[in-house]
Amino acid sequence: MKRLLSSLIVLFLMVCFVFILLRISPGDPSLKFVSPELNPVLAQKVKDSFGLNRPIPEQFVQFISNIFSGNFGVSYDFRKPVTEVISNHLPFTIIFSLISFIIQLSVSYFLAIWSIKKMNGFVDRLLSKTSLVFYALPSFVIGVFLIFIFSEKLHLLPASGLSSYDVDSLSAGERYADYLLHMILPVITLSLGGIAVFYKYLRDNLDEIFNKMFILNLSAFGLSPKEITKKHVIPNAISPLISVAGVELGVLFSGALITEVIFGLPGMGRLTVNAILSRDYPLVVGCTFMSGLLIIICNLIADLLKAKIDKRLIRGMLN
Amino acid sequence: MNIRITNRWLLYSLLLLILIIRFGIVFNSFHLLFLFTKLIFSNYSVALGQIDFGLFDYFLSSVLIIILPAVILFKRKSFSFLDSSVSFASFSAMILFISFVFAPLITNTNPEFQKNISVTKLLPPLSSVNAVYSLKNLEKTASYFILKEKVVKNSYNDRLVFADSIKKDSVITYYQKGRPYLLSSSVPFNLEKDYVITKKFFLLGTDEFGRDIFARLVYGARISVSVGILSILLTFILGSLLGFFAGYSGGIIDSFLSHISEMFLSFPVIFLIILIIALFGNSIFSIIIVLGFSGWMSLFKIVRSEIIALKGKDYFLTAKLLGVTNFNLIFSEMLPVISASVIVNLIFQFGNVILAESALSYLGLGTGSIYPSWGSMIQSGQSYITTAWWMILFPGLALFFTLFMTNSLGNIVKVMFNPRLKK
Amino acid sequence: MNQKYTLFFVILIFVLVLPSCNRNQHEKNDRIVVAIVADAQSLNPLFAFSFQEVNISELLYLSLVQHEWNDSADDVRSYPMAAKEWKWNNDSTSVTVNLRNDINWRDGYKLTSEDVVFSFDLYSDPDIQSRFFGTFNKFYLDKDQHIDLKKSFVINNPYSLVINFRPHSNPGLFDIDIPILPRHVFSKFNRKQFAQLEKGNDSVTCGPFYLYKWNPTQSIILRADEKSFLHKPATVKELIFKVIPDYNSRITQLKNGEIDLMENVRNDQLRELTAINKIKISAVKGREYDYAGWNNLDPAAFNNKKDSPNKLFSSAKVRIALTYAINREEILDEYLGNNGALAVGPVAPIFKDSYNYNLKPIPYNPEKAKELLAEDGWKDLNKDGIIEKNGAQFSFILNYAGGNPRREFAATIIKNNLKAIGINVQAEPMEPGVLMEKIFTHKLNAWLAGWTVPIPIDLKPYWFSDLIQAPFNLAGYKNPDVDKLLDKIDKSKAGNDKNILYRQFQDIIYQDNPVTFLYWIDNIVAHSDRIENFRITPLGSVHHCWNWSVKN
Repeated sequence: MKRLLSSLIVLFLMVCFVFILLRISPGDPSLKFVSPELNPVLAQKVKDSFGLNRPIPEQFVQFISNIFSGNFGVSYDFRKPVTEVISNHLPFTIIFSLISFIIQLSVSYFLAIWSIKKMNGFVDRLLSKTSLVFYALPSFVIGVFLIFIFSEKLHLLPASGLSSYDVDSLSAGERYADYLLHMILPVITLSLGGIAVFYKYLRDNLDEIFNKMFILNLSAFGLSPKEITKKHVIPNAISPLISVAGVELGVLFSGALITEVIFGLPGMGRLTVNAILSRDYPLVVGCTFMSGLLIIICNLIADLLKAKIDKRLIRGMLN
Repeated sequence: MNIRITNRWLLYSLLLLILIIRFGIVFNSFHLLFLFTKLIFSNYSVALGQIDFGLFDYFLSSVLIIILPAVILFKRKSFSFLDSSVSFASFSAMILFISFVFAPLITNTNPEFQKNISVTKLLPPLSSVNAVYSLKNLEKTASYFILKEKVVKNSYNDRLVFADSIKKDSVITYYQKGRPYLLSSSVPFNLEKDYVITKKFFLLGTDEFGRDIFARLVYGARISVSVGILSILLTFILGSLLGFFAGYSGGIIDSFLSHISEMFLSFPVIFLIILIIALFGNSIFSIIIVLGFSGWMSLFKIVRSEIIALKGKDYFLTAKLLGVTNFNLIFSEMLPVISASVIVNLIFQFGNVILAESALSYLGLGTGSIYPSWGSMIQSGQSYITTAWWMILFPGLALFFTLFMTNSLGNIVKVMFNPRLKK
Repeated sequence: MNQKYTLFFVILIFVLVLPSCNRNQHEKNDRIVVAIVADAQSLNPLFAFSFQEVNISELLYLSLVQHEWNDSADDVRSYPMAAKEWKWNNDSTSVTVNLRNDINWRDGYKLTSEDVVFSFDLYSDPDIQSRFFGTFNKFYLDKDQHIDLKKSFVINNPYSLVINFRPHSNPGLFDIDIPILPRHVFSKFNRKQFAQLEKGNDSVTCGPFYLYKWNPTQSIILRADEKSFLHKPATVKELIFKVIPDYNSRITQLKNGEIDLMENVRNDQLRELTAINKIKISAVKGREYDYAGWNNLDPAAFNNKKDSPNKLFSSAKVRIALTYAINREEILDEYLGNNGALAVGPVAPIFKDSYNYNLKPIPYNPEKAKELLAEDGWKDLNKDGIIEKNGAQFSFILNYAGGNPRREFAATIIKNNLKAIGINVQAEPMEPGVLMEKIFTHKLNAWLAGWTVPIPIDLKPYWFSDLIQAPFNLAGYKNPDVDKLLDKIDKSKAGNDKNILYRQFQDIIYQDNPVTFLYWIDNIVAHSDRIENFRITPLGSVHHCWNWSVKN
């Protein structure tokens, strides 16, 4: 409970920090309304209606009171409430990052188990080396490369977008396939780096635990290696992974910016950056709040999970 | 197997190689340095106006390429870490280091140099271009200014003309895009003496402006490395100072600082960086500051927890009771203990910073400076991926090898400090 | 191990089988896909601020009159759209407009004079802040720029109305060219929060197309309205605007046939694209130009509310020297190829009657540039490679918007060109939002930017000396002779006299060279040969697209 409270304070501080940063920075949201075809008075009017002509302390007080009533204001660009804009973008981001997250975890889990079984064998060494390679490959290089191969040369997969434009005229099955097809390259781009990280982490953990004393003891008790791995090594190796994974998921939720840019996907990352670039102040604040909230929630869940696993571990050891 | 190539020998041979290939330049820069010193004594104000980074760069790298091997040779002991055998990581690290320091000697071309784009643009690796070099008014007497023009490479050159083909009879005709041009001058000139027809060689090809990709790659290492080093320096100072402060004093300061670090941790860092860069400009300094600032949290946590752990240890309490001053305590007792994890953290942080810098450049928010950056090279190469693969491949490889090297290095250091991990 | 192989096979099957079932969707012959760079923020013509939003909203909502580019005269011709006919009174201060009586809103209501008056009301309402707010200065206005409806409009019957203008205001058809909005839909909203409330009410339209579906950030799907009087049997049934932010993706999808039309193709891709049979290239001479801006005012002094000339760029000789020193031909040749032209001033060559053909572009001549600079006192005395005058070096920063490849290209070359004549210049990209603000507040010394010349030509906001009246005189250029000319142009009626004034204006600008005009940029459009009756004009490429049909 205390943890939750302090997290909320942190979140509040963060939003205030962003608000202040935005107001003291150069750039003007009403510049969009300045053009030769428009009347110069318009920009002033717009600025007035955004409330930007009032002194900053006054704006800040207004802002704080709005925040506590859950009102983030109206996005300058979309002319819609910020919460509505975010709720349009969030589902995609959550689905996309969950898919990628699950793939990252499961693939790296399988690979780590595989390579620990053949410890220091060919597979293990190969996987370790390739994981280093993928860890060192920036996602924008991977993305560009994948588009070049699969889209430009082989014409197998679409290069960008979430779905085909005629997705509505398709049957349910085809529609599902269409989404899937569009997601293959982005998911690979987003997941490869994470797979490499998790794999390395898991493998090293497994390795370390295998070399620990209590494993030796257990095998001295006559337990089969399979059973030891399943019941003792893996749970022990996973619990530190959980907090790492929690952080990673939180970061994913705040938007896989580079991947979204390369593949033109409608996620939180691009929304936030566009909001920053067009000085859409309420939206920037809303997006940072949302990302911060998700990160905090993920961390909390990870902590809870860890506590649960640990308890079970302790109980298991006692029996 | 007694023959073992150590890093030391690798470094020697690489430096020697540069020295042999670029002997002319090194010699000329020394000559220039000599003339410059003379100029300082004869005409102080003119000499003062001459000092700029380009000139200084040439002087420094020429001097260093002589001094560095000598220092390593004579101070053998302090460089004993070079005596390990060559691994892929150490090889890459060395290449990066050498590119960083000796960039002007390695490439001998200004990374921004471009001329006659129609002839030189998008050339594949290993191609060369015809060029006419004019020696007019370039007397053989080695006056300072003439020598300077020869040594310091600028991003422009009036004396050089690139051409698709060159015909030389009574006059020199050169062709660009099929159109003939005549090399002419109002002053009578001597064809044999005043013009040299040469070829310019592009090892890794050229980009859409006809700039040498090899040169850009080498100078790009400077951006990556200096952004990396300076930011982790900032990270180090910020993280360890705050961490130490929090851990050492405890209480309300500790909880306040911990909350602040929590706040930055729950902030999606990439947005913070973009926010600040978008709002306050993307000069190289702001990028260094932002990247350095955004990494202090993990270091803060490490240092803080190490210090808190240390404070509880018996030997620490004993030392304190024995009357060792706080200052001494920090340097003799604490530093050695925490340095291991700090160094490992910093090495990984270095990789992250380089990656972040190139990602920013890729998004078009990178260092808007005089030097090219690998990220921006990749970004511009993306538009030419079907026609000029070399534009994206080489910077991509450079970035990859650097990150790979950092990682391996980090792992090596980790094992070194933590022998338990060693098998 | 088994599990893993299964997983692998499932993925393999997806990868191999799905593309094949996805292929046949392009066979459908009744739709055309147009690539757009960013999603529209509003399709309501009140808030359609970008060029692209205007173009799409014009397909949904009809205006009284429509404009068409007239190739032979190279000018805009207006023709009736929602109006059947119109008649000006003798002194041109009022016009009687008769509406067509066969225009229906999608929900069955007729388009009437009430709708027209209501639209003018909305567009000029200060609470709504529409795109046209403040531009109705030829109408009778009340004090906050709202059109005085009683004085301005007389409704004769549902299909006829009279519009009155202020005396001597010199009105034209451009003043009544606003898309008409449905009164029965929009009148129910509170005007203070109109911009938020109108969201989602874009289904009641009257144009040749209606909004079928809008997938935010992905696509905007329009369908032909068969009841519209503009509809022909061959009209394309479905028009899809697909959002593809990345240029390379647009090119890839064009080649793959996923999209049928994209604008602003870069010159270096043309050869590759023309080699593809099914792709056609159309180009239209540009009304967009890039320029290198030299701040005629001193930035520091200006922001202290003082006007003092810029230390570097206040002399016309220096500015002309800079133009001589910049190799504009090379930038043009290498970046735009044949799809651009050197610029001599702010009047586009597409306005054939107003363009001054006597002016020849300043050639690239670094020697001449050095000479001019030396005449003005800029010489390299201390031999450090940089010219100076009175002890001050000629050095400045040239800013440009990051992420714009054409400006980046120009900046790279300009930087080296100027360095070659001894000017210490650094080219620095800036985030576009920051750059805009700094240019508009005259805080920068030098920058690269561009303008699109409006149709009809409007010069005063850009070149008049009084910066309040000319908010776009970003260089702070001041010349009383130009002011006199601009005032005269404002007062004269379109025709030969006005064109002579335009030419005189270009003469002065050419001599003063307030900024370095770089080049006019053509809009290159690549489109699939499936689109028939395609015609691109300076007004845009999807303009008049109800004439398009799909080849079978």
